[in-house]
Amino acid sequence: MIAPRVFRAAALALATCGSLAAGVAAVDTPAGNSAPAPSAQAVTAPQFEIVAMRRITEAQYRNSIADIFGPDVRVAGRFEPVVRPVHELIASGAREASISPAGLEQFDAMARGIAAQVFDEAHRSQFAESQPADAGKPDASCAAKVLTPLGRLLFRRPLTGAERDFYVKLASDSAAQTGSFYKGLELSLSAMLDSPNFLYVVETSEPDPANPGALRLDNYTRASRLGFMLWNSTPNEALLQAAEQGKLSDPAALSGIVGRMVNSPRFEQGLRAFFSDMLLFEKFDELAKDPVIYPYFNQDVAKALPEQTLRTITAHLLGKGGDYRALFTTPNTFMNRSLGPLYQVPVHKSSGWEPYQFAPGDDRAGLLGQAGFLSIYSHSGRSSPTLRGRAIRELLMCQPVPNPPGNVNFTAVQDVHNKATPTARSRLSAHSTDEVCAGCHKITDPVGLSLERFDGIGAFRATENDTPIDSSGILDGLHFAGAAGLGKTLASSPDTTQCVSSRALQYATGLGSEDVSPWVENLDKQFAASGYGIRALFLKVVTMPETWQVKPTPVDPNQSLGGATKISFSGQRR
Amino acid sequence: MIRTITTTVALAALLAIGPMTSGRQPLASPAEGEAAPAKLPDPPANGEMGFVVSYFIQPVIQGPDACPQGTSPKLRDAYLAKQTPEERARLMLKENENELSRSWQADTFGPGGTNICSQPDMFPNRSELRLVQSRFSWGLDLDGDSNTRESKGRASKADTCEHDSFQTPTGEQGIDNQEYRVMGCTLEWRGVDGVAGDQEIGMRQFHASGEWTQVILLRGVNSLVRDDHVDVIYANTPDRPTADSTGKFLPGSSFSVSDRAPRNRNVLNGRIDNGVLTTDPQDILLTQTWGQGGARDIRGNRTKYDFRKGRMRLTFQPDGSLTGILGGYRPVFDVIQSPALGGAGSAVVAGIDCAAELNTLRKYADGIRDPKTGKCSGVSSAIRIAAIPAFVNDVPSARTAAR
Repeated sequence: MIAPRVFRAAALALATCGSLAAGVAAVDTPAGNSAPAPSAQAVTAPQFEIVAMRRITEAQYRNSIADIFGPDVRVAGRFEPVVRPVHELIASGAREASISPAGLEQFDAMARGIAAQVFDEAHRSQFAESQPADAGKPDASCAAKVLTPLGRLLFRRPLTGAERDFYVKLASDSAAQTGSFYKGLELSLSAMLDSPNFLYVVETSEPDPANPGALRLDNYTRASRLGFMLWNSTPNEALLQAAEQGKLSDPAALSGIVGRMVNSPRFEQGLRAFFSDMLLFEKFDELAKDPVIYPYFNQDVAKALPEQTLRTITAHLLGKGGDYRALFTTPNTFMNRSLGPLYQVPVHKSSGWEPYQFAPGDDRAGLLGQAGFLSIYSHSGRSSPTLRGRAIRELLMCQPVPNPPGNVNFTAVQDVHNKATPTARSRLSAHSTDEVCAGCHKITDPVGLSLERFDGIGAFRATENDTPIDSSGILDGLHFAGAAGLGKTLASSPDTTQCVSSRALQYATGLGSEDVSPWVENLDKQFAASGYGIRALFLKVVTMPETWQVKPTPVDPNQSLGGATKISFSGQRR
Repeated sequence: MIRTITTTVALAALLAIGPMTSGRQPLASPAEGEAAPAKLPDPPANGEMGFVVSYFIQPVIQGPDACPQGTSPKLRDAYLAKQTPEERARLMLKENENELSRSWQADTFGPGGTNICSQPDMFPNRSELRLVQSRFSWGLDLDGDSNTRESKGRASKADTCEHDSFQTPTGEQGIDNQEYRVMGCTLEWRGVDGVAGDQEIGMRQFHASGEWTQVILLRGVNSLVRDDHVDVIYANTPDRPTADSTGKFLPGSSFSVSDRAPRNRNVLNGRIDNGVLTTDPQDILLTQTWGQGGARDIRGNRTKYDFRKGRMRLTFQPDGSLTGILGGYRPVFDVIQSPALGGAGSAVVAGIDCAAELNTLRKYADGIRDPKTGKCSGVSSAIRIAAIPAFVNDVPSARTAAR
C-alpha cells in the first residue's frame, strides 16, 4: 500500500556540484526582496510541508520544454524510465521514482543542450528581454529579470527570494568566469532544469479550512496536477495565475477551469498519456516479432499499432463524446498504409491516417480486436490466450492475476507444431492438467481463447495448423464467441467502468489502487450518470475534494533521521 | 567528363547487381500456357480486382539448343577472335594482359571520343550477335500469323516485316519475339549453366526495391469463367510494396495510381475466357525508373517501357494471383537503352557491344513498320508477369474524365 506521506520540514540534501546545486526550495518569501546570495544549503531548507514528489515522465519533460521555450528547442538525450509498480500505473511509480547517477548525467546533458539553444543568438531575444549594458560582463539586475519568470514557469510556482538570489549569483559568477553574460544565463538555466523542482512535481500542502487540523494541496500544486493530468504538460500562464489568485482551491472556480481544460483540444494529449499508461503502451517500445513467422510485421507496423489504438480512443471518447463502454464494441477505427496489409483492408490515402469502419458482423470490434492489443499480449512467434486474458483482467477490469510459479513446465504450450495439439486451446488444455497451473489459467484462458482467431500480430486466421479455431470464451460465467462477443461482455461488466474510474483516480493522485478504492464506487456512479463520458470522469476526479486532501501518514521513525525526513536528490527518503 | 560519369553509372549498376549472383535461382517453369484452375472463384461483388506486379522479366528458355555455339562473345573475346592464332596466343600471355586490355578497349572507341554504347549509330559495321537457334520461345502471336481464334484482330502482317516465328514449349504457334531471338544468347540474358543472367537478377532486385511499381486494376469483372468485357487499368504507382524479409511482395497492400509526375496509366479493353484474361492490342507505356533509381539517375528520368500494339494474356491462379505474358513491339533502341546510357563503362567494364546489339536488332526488327519506307524499327517482345492481389486506388474519376 502506498500512502501519501507528509515530510515535515524536509531538508533536502542535494548534490552540490556545478549546475546541480539547487534543490527543492521553500516557498516562504516571494521573490523580489534582494538578499545576500544564499548557500545551496539555505536554498534547500523549505519551511513548508512536502507531501509528495512525483517525477515527470519523458513526455511531460518534452512537452514542458516545448510549451515554455517553443517546439523548435530540441531535447536530445536518453530518459531514464519511471518504473511501473506491479499492477499499478507509471503515474503511481512516479511517486517513488529515483534518478540514478547515470540518469542524472543524461538529464544534465539535456539541460545544457536546452539552455544553450535558449540563449543562442537565434533565440535569446525571446527570453532575455533585458539586455545587459556589456554582454561580456555579469549583470545581476538584468539576469534577475530574465531568470525570475523562467524559474516560475519551470518550477511551476514563483521562485523564492533565496532561489532567485542563488540562480542570479550562479549566472553572475559564471558570466565573470566565461566573459559572457549569456553563458552565465545558460549555466543558471541548466541548473534550474537539473533541479528536482523541475524534474519532480513537488506537491506541497496548506491547512484545510474545511477540516481544521487537516491539510490539503496548495494552489500551485493543484496547478501542476491539473496541467500534467489533463494536458500532460506543465501548467500554463492561466493556470499559474489562477493558482496565484487562489482560484484552484475555490470549488466553483476550479470546476470552471477544469471544464475549460477538458474541453480544450489539448485534453487529447492528456488522454493519450492516460491510456498509454493504463494499457502499458511502453511495451510497444520493445515489441519484436519473428519476421519469418510474421512477414507482415515491420517497424512501420510497430509504430502504427499504438497510434491506431490511441486514435480510436480519442476519436470515440473526445470526438464523438462517446460512452467509454463502447470502446469495446465500436467498429470504428483508423487505418494507414502500414496497417492495411496486416488487416487486409484497402487504404485510400497514400500517407497519413483515414477513418475505417469494419463491416457488420466482423469480429474486429473494439480495442480488443485491434492488432495493437493483440500483438503486445502475444509472444514473438505465437499468440497467447493467457497473456491476453491476463491483460484483460488486469488492465481493463483491475483484477490482478498472480504470476506463474518459477518451476512451470511450458513445453506443452510452446510446442506449436505438435499435431496432437494443433491449436492453442488444445495445448493449454494439456498444460492445465497440471493442478499447479490450472488455478490461474482458469482465470485467464477462457477469456483470451476468444481472441485466438487473431495470430501473434493480430492478423486474422480461421485455422491453426489446418485445424479450425474455436473462439468461444467465458468471462465470469458468461459465454460468448470471438472478439466481438468478448467486447460486448466487457462493455456490460461493471468492473470495466469501475476499473477506469479507479485508474483515473490513481493517475490524478499518484496513489495506488488500494488508496483510491474508497472513492471508486461513488465516482463510478457519477461516471454512469454522465453516460460514461470521459470528460465528465476526469472533471469529477479533479473536483472531488478528497483528491486534494492530504491524508497524514505517520512517518516511520526508522526511515528518518532525527525525526525529520530527508530527501536525497534521488528523491528517496533516507 | 561525360565518359567518366557514364562509366561510373555503369560500374555502379554492375556493383549493385554483383552481390546477387550468389543467390541465383534456376528459372521457374513457365506460367503462361497453363490450364486454368479447375474451379474458378466468383469475382468480388463490386467487380473490382486489384493486383501489384511482383515479377516482370523477359523469359528465357534454358537448354543447349538455344545457343549451341555458346553465348555471344564479350568484347574482349570478340577482339581476340579476330586475331591470328599466333597473335591471340601472345596477347593471352599474362605479361601481355595490359596490352590486351588496352587493345580491345581501344576498339570500343571512335573518333572524337565516341564509343560503341553512347553513340552506337556511329558504329554500323560491328559484327552481329549470335541468334537464338531454337524454335522455342515464350511470347504472344502479335501479328496473327498463326490464324488462331486468339490471333484474330492482332497486328496485321501488313504492319510487320518479314520474320520467323517461334513456338512455345507448350505448343502454341506463331509466337513473335524477335527481342529474344537477338538478345537471348547474350550472357546478360542467358546467364551461366542454366541459371538466370544479370538481366533477371537485376530486374528482380530493382523491382523488389520498389523503385518502380506497377499495378493492375480490373473493373467490371462479372465472371472469371467468361466475361466479354473487362476494363483493365495497367499503371505505375509511386507507392512501394510491402515485402517480407526476403524481398517477396506480400498480398493485401494498398496502392494509388498516380497520373502526376512521370507515371503512366494505360486503360485497356479485356475479356476473360475460362480464367484467362486477354487484352486488345493497344500501345502501353510504363515508367522504367530502374537502375540507380529516381531523379538521381538519368535512366530514371528518361526511359519508358514502350509496347506498341501491346497485349496482355494473364491467367487467374488458385491463390488469387495472375501470371502470364505482356507482349508488344518495342523500339529497338529501347532494348539497349540501359547499357547505352551506361556509356563507355558498359563497354569496357561489362564488355557489352551496344553497337552490335543495335545493328542486330535493326536487322531483325519485325514491328513498328514505316508505311512509306516499309522498314521496321521495333522488335516483338515478351515480358513474363506475375501479379498478386492488392488494393488499387485509381485516380479520381474527375481527373480521369478531364483528361
